[in-house]
Amino acid sequence: MELLLSKFSTLNHKQLAALDKKYGWSLNLLELEAAQRYFKKLKREPTRGELETIAQTWSEHCKHKTFSGPVKFRSGRKVKRYKNLFKETIVKATRRLNKQWCLSVFKDNAGVVEFGAGGKWALAFKAETHNHPCALEPYGGAETGVGGVVRDIMGVGLGAKPVLNTDIFCFGRLDSKMKLPKNALGARRIFDGVVEGVRDYGNRMGIPTAAGAVVFDDGYALNPLVFVGCAGIIPRDKIHKKVSPGELIVVIGGSTGRDGIHGATFSSANIAEDTSNSAVQIGHALNEKKALDVLLKARDKNLYSAVTDCGAGGFSSAIGELASECGAIVELEKAELKDTAIEPWEIWVSESQERMVFAVPPKNLKRLAEIADGENCGYCVLGRFTGDNKLRVTFKGESVVALDNAFLHGGIPNYEKNAVFLSPATCNLPPKKIKKPYHQVLKSILSHPNVCSRRSIVSQYDHEVQGGTVVKPFVGPGQNGPSDAAVIWPQAATGDMKDFSGFAAAHGINPAVGRINPYLMALYAADEAVRNLLCVGADITRTALLDNFCAGSPKDPQVMGGLVLAAEGCYAAAMGYGAPFISGKDSFYNQSTDAAGRQYPVPLTLLISAVAPVEDIRKSFSMNLKRPGNPIYLAGTARKGMGGSIYNELYPSGNNALSGLDIKDSFKLYKALLSAMRSGYVMAAHDISDGGFAAAAAEMAFGGDFGADLCPELCFAESGISETELLFGESPSRLLLEVDKKSESDFLSLVSSLQVAKAGYVNNRAELIIINARGKELVKEKNAGLLACWERDLL
Amino acid sequence: MIIEIFTKGKYAKNEEAGFAKKLVLAGLKTNFLKVSKLYLIEGVYSGAEISRLACELLLDPITEDWLLKPRRCVGDNIYRVEIWLKNSVTDVVGQSVKEAVADMGLKGPKRCRFGRCLYVRASSELKLKHAVAKTLMNETVNYCEIIKV
Repeated sequence: MELLLSKFSTLNHKQLAALDKKYGWSLNLLELEAAQRYFKKLKREPTRGELETIAQTWSEHCKHKTFSGPVKFRSGRKVKRYKNLFKETIVKATRRLNKQWCLSVFKDNAGVVEFGAGGKWALAFKAETHNHPCALEPYGGAETGVGGVVRDIMGVGLGAKPVLNTDIFCFGRLDSKMKLPKNALGARRIFDGVVEGVRDYGNRMGIPTAAGAVVFDDGYALNPLVFVGCAGIIPRDKIHKKVSPGELIVVIGGSTGRDGIHGATFSSANIAEDTSNSAVQIGHALNEKKALDVLLKARDKNLYSAVTDCGAGGFSSAIGELASECGAIVELEKAELKDTAIEPWEIWVSESQERMVFAVPPKNLKRLAEIADGENCGYCVLGRFTGDNKLRVTFKGESVVALDNAFLHGGIPNYEKNAVFLSPATCNLPPKKIKKPYHQVLKSILSHPNVCSRRSIVSQYDHEVQGGTVVKPFVGPGQNGPSDAAVIWPQAATGDMKDFSGFAAAHGINPAVGRINPYLMALYAADEAVRNLLCVGADITRTALLDNFCAGSPKDPQVMGGLVLAAEGCYAAAMGYGAPFISGKDSFYNQSTDAAGRQYPVPLTLLISAVAPVEDIRKSFSMNLKRPGNPIYLAGTARKGMGGSIYNELYPSGNNALSGLDIKDSFKLYKALLSAMRSGYVMAAHDISDGGFAAAAAEMAFGGDFGADLCPELCFAESGISETELLFGESPSRLLLEVDKKSESDFLSLVSSLQVAKAGYVNNRAELIIINARGKELVKEKNAGLLACWERDLL
Repeated sequence: MIIEIFTKGKYAKNEEAGFAKKLVLAGLKTNFLKVSKLYLIEGVYSGAEISRLACELLLDPITEDWLLKPRRCVGDNIYRVEIWLKNSVTDVVGQSVKEAVADMGLKGPKRCRFGRCLYVRASSELKLKHAVAKTLMNETVNYCEIIKV
């Protein structure tokens, strides 16, 4: 192979492919040929370090070339072409909405929006995936996933202080009987390891992990999806960075070793049996905490002019990114090393964790060094930024990399990908009747792994650290109610105990809907995230969104077709809710070979994360019922269709139709409800999602230790809807609200023209009773029985 | 040297039950299971220094105890299973211990590694190996040694 490398510019296609496979670059032929042309022009052969740098910079993980590339989407006879799918959908919505409170979007490590009343602070938010590493080594993969997204927040602008971690997992079913290939870890193993990894990293860094979700589906049996998010607070005058020639490249944090080599390129390929352990990164939370402490002190003393994190691609990515508009000279022998038996190119691309790269004016180096020494945090000066737009990397005087920025960052060839989506056949006949009584159906839904309590996970996380978690993962007097969103009061970051500004964070995810209709999946996910925010009283007119797409190979036109539809759904949702996307990430090649030798991709999955301001955290509220005698209202219209529902998974109803979503009407309704909430008329709110009306009512009841007498038939519903759909259908845009009895008439005056109707009352018997319009009892069950089903132990 | 740290009998029940539950998931039911933590510390230390290392750095003196040799387990078909990170994998616990030993004013060790050790009754080594591989170690990053006690 060394021989092939030395003749790189003359290799034929077969030899190029062999070389790529051997070195694990995940470059395609077009890209390898572009590299050949570049070196032919330079009249020399590349070094290993140069090809590694190109592979990393052009990887799917770093460049997002699928999402930002051209696509030809065919739907019947119609063909639609995108030059840049991402810009023409997600970014387009943000640009068109042009919200002044968006301060920095799609250009830094995280999106940044205004925060608080005084104009002093901003909120940064980002969610990442760490799927491939978690499939290989769940604990280490999850740990470093958290570490990575926390560093994104540390590296946004001139550095934000992390105040909230989020975690959303998609795993194979724990009770799955699916035969796994030899190299695959079982769902239980992955689940345990990932939860422990997220726990250990977040807890040790002192960041509350307070919002999340878990989805179990055998589509993730071979490739788990691990989404980790982080929100941070940053002074508004520190949200921009600029590197100037002459500034020093200073690295702080952990040392560099052979761990994590090829992480970026590995994330851009299907997982194979022979994947090396060097692609696994090992986290060290305490090192990152030290780096964070150094960063915040140095930031507030204005000691550096730019910072970014060492993530995928290591120095190559971080320094390459900072130097992309000026150039840099790097001397690798100056790096702090874990291991002396390491090749220079390995130092350059190693993804050893917990490292941050700064651009430091030479006069400030001494003061920065003093801070690092004071925190017992390692640091080194690796080189300097130049103004010649060239990236030059040496090791003891020998050239490792000498590339032009123009080629490295603009030379990647792209090709048009074909996209098509063949929708599965849908049936909208009334759901089949089953013999099981409704109360037993409700109990089985409450104990379904996608609905039941996540206490055994959540209780491992420290969601109280920093003392600002106002609405916690579990609410109510017995801490039995599953919260719709987390509300955070980031006083630990602002230091202002008199400012009660906070923010809420929530999510929407529904891969079961995506299997039927990816466009609706995006609408449902955005709608669920917005409703969750509303349920704690957040200002949903200032919702900011993150998109995280995960899919199989983009070479499959069906995968691309789903992606196009979901991206269009994101555009429609963002425009409809006036909620711009501020950042996002995509992860492809989430597929492996199954035990039968077939390719087994994950279902197209879209996570929408959302944040919105809570003007006064003292006025935020929870979902548990509060007072007997209070009326309960159902906002929104129940619609026909059992597609993607938990009910359908348990009792296939023959109906897999999805109801549409009128965003305009929904948003009008939500704004009116927000106004009622702000006036103090609403005492509890809960969104209707997994498990439908009955599950939402049960959760509110046992969450508050009160019962409810309800009749959903008295509320707005599509004509001809069945009892099953009323009770267990998951049509979107609906919420259950407990209204203060004393304010009922005021509440009604605010929502009079909208689809809001009284469903019943809170009772003091700790019993849920649901009747139909003829007075027949459909469900009659004590809270204790419902809670016992819901409290099923996942771990 | 390897310093073996273990939870004292009366406090160990939950920890042992947790490990036993994991092994059951891989088809190994056992009526004997004990768990230890292992610290491989390469360096030359006096007896007093080792005792200081164990008591002041590595263990909680109320709930834990330590030994410089494997624990004594009496009975049939008991195996000692050591699980370590492969040498090519960064060991952050080992790294922290290495730094902490030096911070205690002792001579910095050449190398520190952290591992886990189980004493398990099993009907066969093969069955045990399978259960450990399925639940307690990841062959991508770990290796294990099984010895019959």
